[in-house]
Amino acid sequence: MGSISGTICGVGTRILTVEDDDRIRQAVKLALEDEGWSVDEADTGERALEAFAAQVSDVVLIDIMLPGMDGFEVCRSIRRTSDVPIIMVTARDDTHDVVAGLEAGADDYLTKPFAPKELSARIRALLRRARSSESGGLDRIKVGDLEISPDEGLVLKAGEELHLTKTEFKLLVELASQPGKVFSREVLLERVWGYDYFGDGRLVDVHVRRLRTKVETDPANPRYVVTSRGLGYKLQP
Amino acid sequence: MISRRRLGLRARVTLIYALGALLLSSTVAASSFLLTQRRLLSETEITAKSQFYRNTRDLRRGLQVAEIPDERDDVFAIEAENSTTPTTTPSTTTPPTTARIFRTIPPSQPVDVPGIDNQVAPPPPTVPNSRPVTSRLGDNFGSVPAPLGENPVIDVPPTPQDPISIILNGLLRPNGAAALLVLPPEEGIDLAARPFSLSGLQPTAIPADLRALVESGSVASRRFNSTGGEPQLAIGITVPEYDADYYELVPLSDLQGTLNSLRNILFGVAIAASVGGATLGYYSAYRAVQPLNRVSAAAQAISDGDFDTRLDDQIDPDLSKLTSSFNHMVEALQVRIERDEQFASDVSHELRSPLMTLTASVGVLEGRRGDLPAPAQQAVDLLSQDLRRFQRLVEDLLEISRMDVGAVQLDQSPVYVREFLRFVIAQSSAAGINVTCSTADADLMINVDKRRMAQAITNLIDNANKYAGGVTAISFRRNGDRVHLFVDDEGPGVRPADRIRIFDRFTRAGADAGRRDIAKGVGLGLSLVKEHVRMHDGTVWVGDRPDGRMGAHFVIDMPIDDTDMGDEEMAT
Repeated sequence: MGSISGTICGVGTRILTVEDDDRIRQAVKLALEDEGWSVDEADTGERALEAFAAQVSDVVLIDIMLPGMDGFEVCRSIRRTSDVPIIMVTARDDTHDVVAGLEAGADDYLTKPFAPKELSARIRALLRRARSSESGGLDRIKVGDLEISPDEGLVLKAGEELHLTKTEFKLLVELASQPGKVFSREVLLERVWGYDYFGDGRLVDVHVRRLRTKVETDPANPRYVVTSRGLGYKLQP
Repeated sequence: MISRRRLGLRARVTLIYALGALLLSSTVAASSFLLTQRRLLSETEITAKSQFYRNTRDLRRGLQVAEIPDERDDVFAIEAENSTTPTTTPSTTTPPTTARIFRTIPPSQPVDVPGIDNQVAPPPPTVPNSRPVTSRLGDNFGSVPAPLGENPVIDVPPTPQDPISIILNGLLRPNGAAALLVLPPEEGIDLAARPFSLSGLQPTAIPADLRALVESGSVASRRFNSTGGEPQLAIGITVPEYDADYYELVPLSDLQGTLNSLRNILFGVAIAASVGGATLGYYSAYRAVQPLNRVSAAAQAISDGDFDTRLDDQIDPDLSKLTSSFNHMVEALQVRIERDEQFASDVSHELRSPLMTLTASVGVLEGRRGDLPAPAQQAVDLLSQDLRRFQRLVEDLLEISRMDVGAVQLDQSPVYVREFLRFVIAQSSAAGINVTCSTADADLMINVDKRRMAQAITNLIDNANKYAGGVTAISFRRNGDRVHLFVDDEGPGVRPADRIRIFDRFTRAGADAGRRDIAKGVGLGLSLVKEHVRMHDGTVWVGDRPDGRMGAHFVIDMPIDDTDMGDEEMAT
């Protein structure tokens, strides 16, 4: 991990922090900069979109509760043009906010208050995911009319390219590494998100749902990403 | 449970309908039976009586004819001559009497009955329309008649020879009635009444009171059951001219047969009506309960967390009150829960925001700890420790308040118990403790909300750290379809009086009144354990260690709940 984090942790990795509370924003910026990241700030959703357009970030940190345009909307707007890793920050850890944030396109979430070290670990995991697709070394995988090229970060369905986020792509590649084998949520959490045993299974569920809307012809009756009730998910060969 | 002992609504309504139908139909059946019976009986009686009067008239006429004309008398006499021995010669000066008729009848018994004929006769009863014959007969009647039944009955043969039998035989008896003519004793022939019987009617078959009435000169009828249980109508009349009593006994068994079948039919109808009533009752109760089932389904859906469930307003105008008040209730409940949830959420936000700033800032300080002078390092350590504790307290409070609001939903997934416990222990302050279980239970799986159950076990471990010097053993055992998780320590144990109380909020084992050991944290930990376990349909309790040594023995008992656990190959 040391060598990887060394490459990721370099100055120049830009993180956009969207947070309306000045004191929190300052403290988070302080902590992140102390860890070695470059930090851009925005206190409203609108300014965040402006900042994102002006300067492409490597990771975006969005607080859900924002005045005016809320965090979900900011997330959706960014997702329309970019697959940049997004972390949602919530001060209310009820299921609704978490799931809504993930469905808006976030790759991960954190509940306030979180330690700066924890945030850094999440950011690193996301960056690793974003770059692993460029240096995977896996063979091309064909399942039905899906064609997955881990090296190029490409997924073709019936010859047409699908636009997956980094997390969705990584999830699909994990499942495709052993087609037909059931992956438990724990295993996927560990391999895709870098979580330990106590990661939140909802991350997997929501991402599988989003993945299905892209790879399945009929997401309600999945043909490829199949749920194995109570056990996990598998890619149906 | 009271409801278990009582009958269900449907059963009760069915029963009431059935009983009601039974009552109604049996009342109708009974009254129609009684009315029909009365009508049939009275019709039969009227018919029987009018026939009886006609027969009486014919009989009377026959008797007159038999006795008045000499020629006829001769005829009778001649007819009778072969078989009879006349003992007296009829006087030509006296009008013909019944004696002449009687004379033609074969004497059946020794006629001398000593002690009876010499009795002093009371004056003969004055019979209206009396004829000389009657008075003569009346004289003879002065003697006390022998009781009926003592004299042998003369059965009228099918082809009778004697005039009385011929007359009797000529009577119309359409109902199959039996007849009995009791003639007075004839002087010189008979000292006792001689009954003539048609169809074998015995005098004893006539009820005594009826006979008494008839003998006293009335016309009387009476319905009674024979000794064989056959219903019968007895009618009797005195024929005053001859001082004879004529009886008819009309069997009513034909009528009884009709009545019996009527009764059977009515009984059947009553039973059918009851069954019909029961069916109707069941059906209406079923229909009546149907909307309640919908209400119950809606209530179930609501208690399962679907607060948008409403009853359809248009299901039934009669139930609209229930429907609308139910919907209002749900709405009020929903508003209240949402308000509580909003409050908890706001509190959560308000508490977490400053904590976020604190945590991030302290994180920076911790990262720069080495750059700080010793006193500042100490200060940072204190700050970060208490910040963590404060954070825990806030999390616990928020968790508890969410539970109170009822806004918590479990996120259950199947886990291997042993693996799960190992992970929990590894993250806790009890790292290094082994998980022990039997070989059979090594691969036991349960469905849990990992975060909550981990918090429950962590809290038990923390509790042992605070009050008992740390956990000494963590184990589990399958118990049927449940699993027991054990957390043991070697502390002073929990006094029996405190074993329930320690799971209450802000209660601390070993805390003396007035002395709060804040450094050891406030007592939300065990109450959270209780809540988390309860949400898993389990219970938690504390007891003495089973090995008898000093220390507390915490037990979490929860269902295995292995639904949703397949056998497919898992990626590891």
